[in-house]
Amino acid sequence: MPVWAIFKGGIMARTKLSDDRDLTEEQRLFKESLLEWAERNMPLDRVIKMNREGHPYPRELIKGLADLGVIMGTVPEERGGMGLTWKDQALIADIIGYIDPSIATAAGFMAVETGWGFTIDRHANDEIRKKYVQPAIRGDKFIGIATTEPGGGSDVANFKCTGEKDGDEWVLNGEKTFISGVEEAKQIGGGYWVNVRTGEKVPGAAHKNMTAFFVPIDSEGLTPTEPYDDAGRNSISTGGFIMEDVRVPEEYMLGEKDKGFYYTMEGFDNARILIGASAVGVTRRILEEAADYIKEREVFGSPLAKYEGIQFEFVERYTEMEASRLMVNKVADMQDTRYDEEGWAERSGKAKTYSPTEIAKWISMIKYKVPHLAKDTADDAMHWLGAAGYSSEYIFETAWRGVMSYCVGAEGGANIQKIVIGRETLGKDYVPYK
Amino acid sequence: MRFVVCVKQVPDTTEIEVDEETGTIIREGVPSVLNAFDEFALNLAVELKNEVEEDVEIVALSMGPPQAKEALNKCLAIGADRAVLLTDMVFAGADTWATSVTLSRAIKNIGKTDIVFMGQEASDGNTAQVGPEVAAHMGIPQLTFVTEVESVNNSHVVAKKETDEGFVRIKCETPVMIACMPTPGFEPRIPNIREIMKAKKKEYQEWSHEDLGGDPSEYGLDGSESVVIKTYSPPPKGEGIIVDDEPEVAVKKLMDFFEDEGIL
Ligand SMILES: Cc1cc2nc3c(=O)[nH]c(=O)nc-3n(C[C@H](O)[C@H](O)[C@H](O)COP(=O)(O)OP(=O)(O)OC[C@H]3O[C@@H](n4cnc5c(N)ncnc54)[C@H](O)[C@@H]3O)c2cc1C
Repeated sequence: MPVWAIFKGGIMARTKLSDDRDLTEEQRLFKESLLEWAERNMPLDRVIKMNREGHPYPRELIKGLADLGVIMGTVPEERGGMGLTWKDQALIADIIGYIDPSIATAAGFMAVETGWGFTIDRHANDEIRKKYVQPAIRGDKFIGIATTEPGGGSDVANFKCTGEKDGDEWVLNGEKTFISGVEEAKQIGGGYWVNVRTGEKVPGAAHKNMTAFFVPIDSEGLTPTEPYDDAGRNSISTGGFIMEDVRVPEEYMLGEKDKGFYYTMEGFDNARILIGASAVGVTRRILEEAADYIKEREVFGSPLAKYEGIQFEFVERYTEMEASRLMVNKVADMQDTRYDEEGWAERSGKAKTYSPTEIAKWISMIKYKVPHLAKDTADDAMHWLGAAGYSSEYIFETAWRGVMSYCVGAEGGANIQKIVIGRETLGKDYVPYK
Repeated sequence: MRFVVCVKQVPDTTEIEVDEETGTIIREGVPSVLNAFDEFALNLAVELKNEVEEDVEIVALSMGPPQAKEALNKCLAIGADRAVLLTDMVFAGADTWATSVTLSRAIKNIGKTDIVFMGQEASDGNTAQVGPEVAAHMGIPQLTFVTEVESVNNSHVVAKKETDEGFVRIKCETPVMIACMPTPGFEPRIPNIREIMKAKKKEYQEWSHEDLGGDPSEYGLDGSESVVIKTYSPPPKGEGIIVDDEPEVAVKKLMDFFEDEGIL
């Protein structure tokens, strides 16, 4: 406990900003378990230390998270998951963001393993499920997503990696960059969803002929590249790999040939919901930690929290945080209707209440808005604390550097979200590029 | 074999604030938690169940308002097989006597029980009376301040109990009531999400006084032998003196203080 938290007569009551009353009984218990686990295994000072020390993500913590049951909870029970709703999983992601405001844990195990892993599970066959997805749920393997290439990430359809059929196998070539978790996958085993082109590029429809494969990290011909020295979320790695005649069996194709683009959009949706939710948790933690400080720190004879210059900024962020939480709840509710319906087909627009593109619009709104809120709140908090806020003794600068990854590009850049929102509100005729 | 674990939902003592004007505890908005002593008792029961070869059913039992279901849900997630909540306006306002009457009747209702696990005390009332009273009503032996249950078979239990001098190992006939005392540094099992989801499917019942039989006047406030005259919090202690010096100086200052105050 920081020294300032102790004052005459006792220990200061911690500022708590969460409201549990809109949670279900089970969700309250999830929350209690996760916070209790974090108190024992991942208190804030450990989060700060993990970020200083860098990747790979501590193995015992991957196992711990898996034992808690936070990874891929939305996978159906009969396939090793828990059949949680998106609402449940979004709440879990929120708490994971709260526990680790560097967002590394949420990045690795919510967005990537849960968002993308759930989507892999939907489109994979039983062998991949048994060999990779289920062990990842148990924390024994790491699975992730590799869409981004040296040529760029935003223009998902404009990719260069190729796949050619050779007998019962596919031969893959090309390079993937800025891929989360490569060092972790190398360390504990696992693999990636890799998009490749399996036919001629169609002018005006570059997204056609994209096929998704599951590629084990230890495949012959796959060489991981040097991990990046990222600004933040350093406890989980960002790396890449080069594929030179990597052979995968036909069964390692995810879903159907040439449908990769649609699955990828689905995967982005699933990952973005969880990032939006995590960023709410990050924001709440930043506000709680900052509130404890500004209530105690006296400047010019009064606590900082008494000055409107600080109090009003705090209140604005708090209001935005609660608004974001409600938005995330709505999005999770919408997403629950998406997979509820029997016979739901990708992009068919047949979902119970909302079409997938309508859900995607809302998902883009939270993906755009909430990580920026978390980053701006961390920025404000650093100002409120002054020099202390700039030091890595407190969580704010670690959080600020970490959540920035979701502002600049991870799971899709801000402008890309805006393009989706614009398309769904103004109409397809106003998409700025084609 | 059957273990019944009695649990109580209490206000989270780390969150308690006192109304400065009235001197009473502010209960609104204070989260409720499972009494830590009971959580320890449940952990011992679950550990013991995992150790014995025979099939064991663990029943979590609580008396309280409908919200106490939450504490029982947690017990089911930690490892209880089923749960019973005794909830009825007739039970309200019970002192330790009426509480133990109610609990012991419920245990009889549950059926043949080998061990009744209880917390040594509840962190809100701190009486430590309910466990021994339950044993007395049931006419069974009691072990208090138990920190460990080593083994159990069809006729006996061996447990470790804390005393002022240290520990004693006791072999005792079953059925028995065991009041459990958490050991320092004890970390309760954290139920994982899978267990929490499974708990949802376990059997949960609510019983009223009609399920337990007897006259309503035997329960709750009417059935209580004691009367609470006033609740208040002790006046806050003064600020205290902090001696923050090198050991030699500090010790001297302390000794002077003790002498001046006539303590030594
Ligand atoms: C820490 C981290 C981890 C990552 N992990 C993964 C991973 O696991 N797997 C994976 O496949 N990828 C991963 N990425 C890559 C991520 O998906 C890309 O960063 C993202 O898609 C953006 O691509 P880019 O970085 O190549 O930027 P570019 O596509 O070059 O875009 C640059 C900027 O231009 C903006 N922009 C693009 N198009 C337009 C337009 N038409 N109008 C206006 N503005 C536009 C973008 O919003 C962005 O801000 C990760 C990125 C980061 C930072």
